[in-house]
Amino acid sequence: MEKVNVTIDGRTFEAVKDKCVLEVAHENGIYIPSLCYNSEVTSSGGSCRVCLVEAHQGGRMRLVTACNYPVRKGLEVKTDTPLVRRIRRGVLELLMARVPDSEVIREMAAAEGLTEVRFREDTGENERYKCIACALCTNVCAEVVGVYAISMINRGADKKPATPYLKPSDVCIGCGACAYACPTGAITLKEKDGVRRIWGKDFPMVRCSVCGTPYIPEAQVDWIVKRTGKDRSFFDKCPDHR
Amino acid sequence: MTDVAQFDRIIERYEKTEESLLAILQDFQREFHYVPEEGIRRLSEVMEVPESKIYAMGTFYKALSLTPRGRHTIKVCTGTACHLKGAPLILETLERELKVKRNGTTEDGEFTLECVNCVGACAMAPVTLVDEVYHGQTRASKVMDIVKKQVGS
Amino acid sequence: MAPIDSIGGLEAYRRKLAEAAEAKADMPTVLVCFGTGCQANGAGPVAEAFRKVIDEQGLKLDVNLGIKTTGCHGYCENGPLVAIRPQDILYLKVKPEDVPEIVEETIKGGRTVERLVYRDKATDEVVARYSEIPFYKHQHRIALRHIGSIDPTDIDDYILAGGYAGLAKALAMDPEEIVSEVERSGLRGRGGAGFPAGTKWRSCLAVESDVRYVLCNGDEGDPGAFMDRSIMEGDPHSVIEGMIIGAFALGSHQGYIYVRDEYPLAVKNLSIALEAAREKGLLGENILGSGFSFDIKISRGGGAFVCGESSALMRSVAGEVGEPRAKYIRSVEKGLYDKPTVLNNVETWANVPEIILKGADWYASMGTEGSKGTKVFSLVGKVNNTGLVEVPMGISIRELVENIGGGVLGGKKFKAVQTGGPSGGCIPERLADLPIDFDSLTEAGSMMGSGGIIVMDEETCMVDVARYFTNFLVDESCGKCTPCRDGLPRILDLLTDITEGRGGEEHVALLEELCDLLTWGALCGLGTSAANPVLSTIKYFRDEYDAHIRDKKCPAGVCKALITYSIDPEACTGCRLCAKNCPQECITGKRKEAHVIDTSKCIKCGVCKDVCTFDAVRIS
Repeated sequence: MEKVNVTIDGRTFEAVKDKCVLEVAHENGIYIPSLCYNSEVTSSGGSCRVCLVEAHQGGRMRLVTACNYPVRKGLEVKTDTPLVRRIRRGVLELLMARVPDSEVIREMAAAEGLTEVRFREDTGENERYKCIACALCTNVCAEVVGVYAISMINRGADKKPATPYLKPSDVCIGCGACAYACPTGAITLKEKDGVRRIWGKDFPMVRCSVCGTPYIPEAQVDWIVKRTGKDRSFFDKCPDHR
Repeated sequence: MTDVAQFDRIIERYEKTEESLLAILQDFQREFHYVPEEGIRRLSEVMEVPESKIYAMGTFYKALSLTPRGRHTIKVCTGTACHLKGAPLILETLERELKVKRNGTTEDGEFTLECVNCVGACAMAPVTLVDEVYHGQTRASKVMDIVKKQVGS
Repeated sequence: MAPIDSIGGLEAYRRKLAEAAEAKADMPTVLVCFGTGCQANGAGPVAEAFRKVIDEQGLKLDVNLGIKTTGCHGYCENGPLVAIRPQDILYLKVKPEDVPEIVEETIKGGRTVERLVYRDKATDEVVARYSEIPFYKHQHRIALRHIGSIDPTDIDDYILAGGYAGLAKALAMDPEEIVSEVERSGLRGRGGAGFPAGTKWRSCLAVESDVRYVLCNGDEGDPGAFMDRSIMEGDPHSVIEGMIIGAFALGSHQGYIYVRDEYPLAVKNLSIALEAAREKGLLGENILGSGFSFDIKISRGGGAFVCGESSALMRSVAGEVGEPRAKYIRSVEKGLYDKPTVLNNVETWANVPEIILKGADWYASMGTEGSKGTKVFSLVGKVNNTGLVEVPMGISIRELVENIGGGVLGGKKFKAVQTGGPSGGCIPERLADLPIDFDSLTEAGSMMGSGGIIVMDEETCMVDVARYFTNFLVDESCGKCTPCRDGLPRILDLLTDITEGRGGEEHVALLEELCDLLTWGALCGLGTSAANPVLSTIKYFRDEYDAHIRDKKCPAGVCKALITYSIDPEACTGCRLCAKNCPQECITGKRKEAHVIDTSKCIKCGVCKDVCTFDAVRIS
């Protein structure tokens, strides 16, 4: 793998060429906030704009999202300049106005010294919930799980993740990866009496034959068996008792 | 509408590749005046493309509507030249007279009123289209006459 | 006919067509414009009327009727347009009932029908000859070279006019040489940002790959611009020929033309042209016997402005939702299906055959230092002569508006021009001597965009214009990134407050802050340029913002919440027309007496002003 030297906030590191700035920074203990990026999901990133940093290269500077900007030879990154802070604050203020109920956003904003929103909060047709329409959930569902149960629908301010026709999905396996990946905890996943409810659909769970805890939706077992040919009996026990 | 043959007739005209999806959806729109849910489902099956993906396209592209449109479509061009020359007043007149909001359909299913961001006929601004027939230099006071004359009601 | 299988074969075919044309050179020809504008104004019945008269009178004419009609002449406001050859006469606003007279007087008698020709509004001078009408006289047509004189659905018309000669020349050249020629011509992309076409081609060529794609952006989305529509409808082969040349230079075998859904006639004429080019051996396998193969597919857009953005367009072509992606990796490296891709817009491609044929030096001799050649502008809005004009780069805004456009409509005061669509800005009258080229427009806070020039007069409210564009963008934002998705609605809220009289001093500062956020923070070009309409109006028309905020007044009389309608008793003749048409029935007055509007019931619908023939309705 080709290595290049990259400078972040005045410190120079050796990094794998084309790796994203965010990961190189985090590996070296430099914190850059981010929401929509997950290193396990190649299709993620680029949308929330919280991780914008200054990229200096070839005599020009621009703001780039650290989560998908590839490190190349001679790149110099600045993560803590007045411009970066100003734009980051702006992005967070917009997100606060969009999802006033989100603790994650409030905390991230507070770290930037931002506690109040100066414009009207979003009271339009958007239901008041915590989704920042970053698409990480749909990316996980498509790329990692491979079931494509949800997608980003509509456009503009109405953009949101949803199942087709907002109806319980035929293909969803109830795995909950979307809820797990969501940076703001906007996806409701509830479990009660051995049934998991997500995206408006109920999924009966398989109980562990040892501890009796419902731990995986039957539909997910079906999917894994079908996909991988794994023996169904493998799922009789939960990971703790295998 | 559960007869899949009517969808298949359209789907068959195209190559089996994702590149054809948008064109097929547009043909659905032309044929049925909207994109029916069964159509999306069938397209998903035949093309082996996830339904969620096609549904997202249906909600993203303005040329596609997931709910049935009226028998007649009136489009008010809201391009810049039309805006400056009075398109907002034309739109308001149509909303008032037809008792329908922009991008909505009248209760009797007769008219759908749409706004279009420029139809590229700016030299004739303001432009109103009734069922794809262009009417240039439309005026708020005359637009209902144009509509009535063309649809004959 | 068998496909033409060599370059020499094409020239022989052209000679054959020329000989046939020569034999009919003196035969009068009627060209009826069948552009969208003229058809809307009734070109169909006019063509029908010509055919009828000719049938009845047994005149032996080569009349361009029915399918043999031309593309848009650009002077749409005066349509239907009818050109008569060989006299080179242009008749305006022709009605079917005028046809017998035209046939009798002009075609048979060689005389001009004066009442149908151009009459200068200021000097009352009559101009019959097509090329002498001020609207055309100042033009220099390259991209529009054939439009209006050929039948776009007849490939022979195009070949006779010299079509595909550029391709024939290119096929004998080294690909490297073609790229150099385009580079040296200085041709910059006509779609918006003005990136040098040759540089783009060269970067694509430098990337190693078996597969490359050549794309044409026909998703003309800027409201107020319609040159690409006109070219695709009126001269589709020029675009196709340009793309074949590009594909040959780049070693591409598959091209796509992405056409806006709102342009059905463009799709139709392009489809006919592609089929005809294939039949003639100009497209498809083994083009003109050269061994080079290339084909083009049409991809219909779905009604999304953002798909004019290159990465969104490529996703849309591939059958996905048209969302842009970060362009940290350029599309010349990884474009459509992650393969090296060259995307140019319609007008750019249409210029390519002429550049190859006549040479880079010829092209570069026109225009300015940084912006070579000519540019097509759509001159619309509050101007006397509206339509498409092609002029050398560097012409001033004032020349364009006054000499070609014939000045502002109704003798009103020229306030500003808006260029560049929703990514552009408003340039005030005091800067009207600015030469129009890519760089000077950008410096002035606007941009070239695709070439829409929208003229604004004293009755245009600049805050309303900013609000209009923001509203447009709110509607068209794809919703992927935070600044655009959530920032634009906030900007719209603020502008709406101002236009409705709720604006405070802090509104403008907050607007500027949000604009800064969009410019730096948005993902794609749509978002990063979305602030231009707002910033440019604040910069040049701050007084109008102040009038709305401090005085709660709209000086242009546009913003409904801040205006009232009244009737001037001096001008009113008491004709009752307004009272009869008022939807609120809130205008009262006796016949022959001045009328009065009950402002408490008035909904400011504008109908009374619209119908009044005495200009007695006032807005204050």
